[in-house]
Parts: sequence; structure tokens; C-alpha cells
Amino acid sequence: MNDQIFWIILKRLRIPFLVIIVTFAITMLGLTLIDGMDDKGNVYRMSFFDAFYFVSYMASTIGFGEAPYSFTYGQRMWVSGMIYLTVIGWFYAIGSIVSLIQDDALRKAISRNRFRKQVRGLGKPFYIMLGYNSVIKDIINRMGVHDYRFVVLDKDENKIDELILENFYPHVPAMAGDVTNQYMLKMAGIHQKNCLGVISLFKDDSKNTQIATICQLLNKKIDIIVKGSSPRHIEHFKSMGLKHIQDPFEIVSKRIYYSIVAPHIWLLEMWVYGHSLNLRKRDILPHGKYIVCGYGRMGKAIEQGLKKAGIAYVLYDLEAKKYEQENGTTIFGDEKDRNKLLELGVEDAECIIAATQDDLLNLTLLNKAKKINPNIFTIARENSLAELTMFQAAKINKIYIIEKILAESTYNYISRPLLDTFVVELRKQDEEWAKIIVSMLHNSTGISPDYFEIEINLENAYALSLSLQKGEKITLAQIRRSRANREEILPIVYLLLQRGEEIFLVPDSQMHLAIGDKLLIVAKDEYKEDFEYIVNNLYELNYVLGREY
Amino acid sequence: MNMHKIVSGFFFIFAMTLNFGFFYGNPEVLIDHSAYELFAAIVINLIATVLKLGDKTQLGSVLLATSLVADIQLIASATIWAFALYVLNDFGKEATTAIVSLSGGALLANVVSVILFISDTVKSKR
Repeated sequence: MNDQIFWIILKRLRIPFLVIIVTFAITMLGLTLIDGMDDKGNVYRMSFFDAFYFVSYMASTIGFGEAPYSFTYGQRMWVSGMIYLTVIGWFYAIGSIVSLIQDDALRKAISRNRFRKQVRGLGKPFYIMLGYNSVIKDIINRMGVHDYRFVVLDKDENKIDELILENFYPHVPAMAGDVTNQYMLKMAGIHQKNCLGVISLFKDDSKNTQIATICQLLNKKIDIIVKGSSPRHIEHFKSMGLKHIQDPFEIVSKRIYYSIVAPHIWLLEMWVYGHSLNLRKRDILPHGKYIVCGYGRMGKAIEQGLKKAGIAYVLYDLEAKKYEQENGTTIFGDEKDRNKLLELGVEDAECIIAATQDDLLNLTLLNKAKKINPNIFTIARENSLAELTMFQAAKINKIYIIEKILAESTYNYISRPLLDTFVVELRKQDEEWAKIIVSMLHNSTGISPDYFEIEINLENAYALSLSLQKGEKITLAQIRRSRANREEILPIVYLLLQRGEEIFLVPDSQMHLAIGDKLLIVAKDEYKEDFEYIVNNLYELNYVLGREY
Repeated sequence: MNMHKIVSGFFFIFAMTLNFGFFYGNPEVLIDHSAYELFAAIVINLIATVLKLGDKTQLGSVLLATSLVADIQLIASATIWAFALYVLNDFGKEATTAIVSLSGGALLANVVSVILFISDTVKSKR
């Protein structure tokens, strides 16, 4: 209740209260002084209690009648004057008290207070999300089961209402306010010890820059996750020393490059994001001529990927806004457009990419191209998630959804740090290596295996940590044994081991384990359970290691 | 000269003096204590309370607290008066002493309030 506004409101209540007290006091005093007459004709005077009772129901216009006895004319003359005084005073005072309580500033102060209390009450580590949209919503929904909490700030009050209606569990404290305002950031808990970081994925790069700068000044220890899509801004973020910069267009560029040059690396990366570990025919991009329509940030990113892969391509600088101005619509496909496509060589091209900012334009353009050349491979950029079904119905071979890419990569960074490292390391390898890994995963864990992360410590791997603390040497291979029969190998794959700053991609099975190691393991659910038993239960561990006690 | 200071100071001290006027006299004899004086004390005390509303300073909060104490005591005293007169129909010594001693408590709160108010005035150098 330290908000200035609360005291201002209290101060403004003075006049209404004074009006009530003074009018009541005058009326009551008059009533006790005027002579009345009781039912037997004796002279009497009202007591203060009688007067208080009468004035209370007179002023509030309840009007129970004259009490305790019928009034004399003297009393009635006094009362008829006082009715106007007290009733008007009462309405004025009640009216202003009610309007003060409903005061917008006061309600805002109260909701700010509530928000601050909720943020302070977050017992678990949390991230501050700036701006609320479908990406953020997606991330929050996925994180539901994890041990992280979120605080959301958005400039738009409607967005915050939308969030409240979502009814997230666990609760997500949210507040409307200027996200570049340091006061708001402080209220959102940027100084709190359990604040892990700030996530800022605005479309506008310069806004992200501003936010990153403010956040870094406010708290040096936190993680700042920003979206940057232009080289100039990314350069700036790097010079600020930010570790995590989300550039969706760079991700697209890399994905295109890898799916042409090294489909198995691409496959492994997509598998991390939930794709099945199976290279289908339609996942392989053709190697012939490409047509790229739209030369914005996305178009440039695609160009970069194609150039690196050494693929021939033509560019068509199609701009959604300009197209709409010229033709009055974003439906592609009149005679002029058709000629343009033919001129670009759609008949002998193998792939066409529609990368403008307008979904309808992308869709109609690809449809037209397919009509001219039915065998062409089509790739679309989709801008809003709402139109996903439309794109699926149009049978487009590949769809890039910027929002989804952003959500997935941010989610992985926050909740699955090892997977994120895995993707980075993966890109340094070559196709042959990836092929081997994929077939190894297929052989030992099946077509669409799951993965999990585990840190070797007393909490997650009790038995194993105890043994390691005693100084025993245990290798990765030794604990990869079936608990039913230790001669058999448990079908799991160690994909990555992180020891401090060191990273071992597909670690050697003769490697010795150490406390604090983080492992990324691929396994089916049932084998994951087996593995957890082995590392936690002393008897299981002893059996697997071949020790008798 | 500060108009607000004059008005609030007037009501704070007036509340105390009226309270004292009611309290003064033989605590067992009701005739010594006028109902009109109690009424006036309650009204002036309420006004003093309202004047203390909304002061964010440390002193303002304490002043408001003492004033609220005085209000409660005085209203309790008036309530006992009405209760003994109309509900119990028995105006014994017990009721009289309760009325007077409650107002005595209120007087103490009022004295504290006035001391705080004066000390603040003395402290300020303007």
C-alpha cells in the first residue's frame, strides 16, 4: 500500500466524510433541542439515540416514518428544512465515495500491487516474457510441466486480458505496461534472485535492442534471449555479449542448406524438434533450378542457403504491399503474372519458394506455378499460424512458419539446453557421420525414439553418484546393461555428454563417468525407466556392474 | 501562516478540550456529565479524524491511529449510554462509571495526538 495514489484517494475522501458528519450533527442537535409531545400529551425531548436513528433513515431516504411519537409542528418545520440538507449531503458524499473507489488510477494501483505480490511469491526460477502473442503462448503451454515459471508484460491491455482468459496453470502473472520502461521491468522481478532471464521476441529489431540494453544494465547476471533478424542488429547483440540471439531467418537458411547438402543432418535437427527420425521422399529437396519469390529478409536468407549449397536459382523481387497497390488484391494469377512465371522459367525449374509477407499471395502463387508445372516442388512461408489448415489443404510440399520456428528454438534453449548444444555440434559434422548416427539410432532405438536429459548428481542418480563419490571408476558402457540380464545391452544411445565446458558428441562408451556430467540419452520410454532404476537403486546398480554384496 | 494547519490544529485541540469537559466531574454521578458535551465531543473527534486522512508521513499515520482510538472509545461510551437507558432500563453506577471511564480513555488518546501535533510544530523551523 505504498502507492502514492492510495493516499491521494484517501485525501480526496475528506470532503465527502466531512459533509456527512456536519449535516448529521446539525440535524441531530436540532432534533434533541426542539420540544415534542408523546402519545399522552406530555412534553418530551428526543434523546440523541432517537435523533440518530431518525436522521439515519431520513438522510438515506429509507423513511420509516416519525418516531418515537408523531412530531409536533415545531419538529416538522425543522425536519422539512433538514431533509434537503441531509439528503443532498448524503447523495453527494456516497456518490463521490463510490466514484473514488472505482477510480481508474486506484484500480490500476491495486492491480499493480497484486502483480508485484504474485511475482514476489514465485517460488521457482522464472523468465520474464515481453510481449504476449501466439509464440509466447506456445512456449508457456509447452513449459507447463517443467519447473519454470513465467511473468508476462505487454503494452496492450487486451493482450493481457487474453492471457488471463487462457487460465494457465501454474498461474502466469501478467501486467499491462510499457515494456521498455525500467520501472515495469523491476516490478516484473528482474532484480529477483530466481529471475533467470528476459525473453524478447518482438518483430521490431530496434525494440529488442533497446530492451536488451536496458535489461543488461538492470541485471548483468540474467540471460537475455532476443530475436534479431537483420545483420546490423545481430552484430550489435554479439558485441553486447548476449549468448542467445534468436534469428528465425538464419534458422531457415541453415535448414534449407542442410536439407539440400546433408539431409541426414537436417533430419537429426528436425528430430530434435519433434519430427520422426525417418527421411521421407518429400523431405529431400531437389537439386535443380530454384525460383525464389520475395526478396525480403526471408528471401535473402534463402538465397544465402542456396548459394552456400551451390544451387542455381532465380530471384523474383515480389513485394506483397507493392503487389497489392498495383493490382488491388493479393490473389496471384492473372495473365501478366503467368507470363512472369514463364519468364522466370517455371517450366524447367525443380523448386519454387514463395517467401512474401502475405499468406494469400504465397498460396495463390504456388498454386499457379503448380498448374504450369505439376512436378515442381513447392515451399511456402507462412506468416500467421491461424491459416495452417489452408496451407495443408493446398498440398504444399514444405511450409516454413516463422512463429513456430521461433517458439521451438526458444523452448529448446530454455528447457532442453543439451539438445540445443547438440544441434550446434551437429552442424559441425558431415553427412556421412549423420548417416551413421541415424542408422545407429534406428538399429538400437527404433524409428521415432524419444530422448531425455539427466545430470549425474545425488538427486537424479543417487546410487551412481554414491559409487562415484567413493572413487569407483564406472564407464558409460558398464551401466548400459539390461537389469533383467546383465549380459544383454540396454537399447539406449548416449548422444552427448557435457562435462563443465567440454562437450563430447556421441561419447566413447569406455569413458569414465564423473559427478556433474550431463547426459543426453536417446531411448524409448520403457528403457528410460530402466536406466533411471539402474542409476538410482543400489541393488540394480550392483547387479548391472556385476558386484555381489 | 498555513490555513490547513490552523483548521486541523483547531479541531485537534477542540476535540481534546471537549473530551476533557465531558470527562471532568464525579464519575459516579451522571448529572456531572452532559450528553450534549459527549455529542459535541464525538462530532468534533470525527471531524478531526477525517482531517487526518490521507497523510502519508509517519507522523500522519500515528495521528490517524490515535484519533481512531478516541473515536472508538467515545462511540462505545455513547452506545453504553443508549443501551443502559433503553435496553436494560436500569441506570446503575456501573453504567455511569463505564461511560465516564471510556471517555477518559479517549481523552488520553486525544492528549497523545495533541502532543504529537505540537511537537511536530515545534520541530519545524518555518
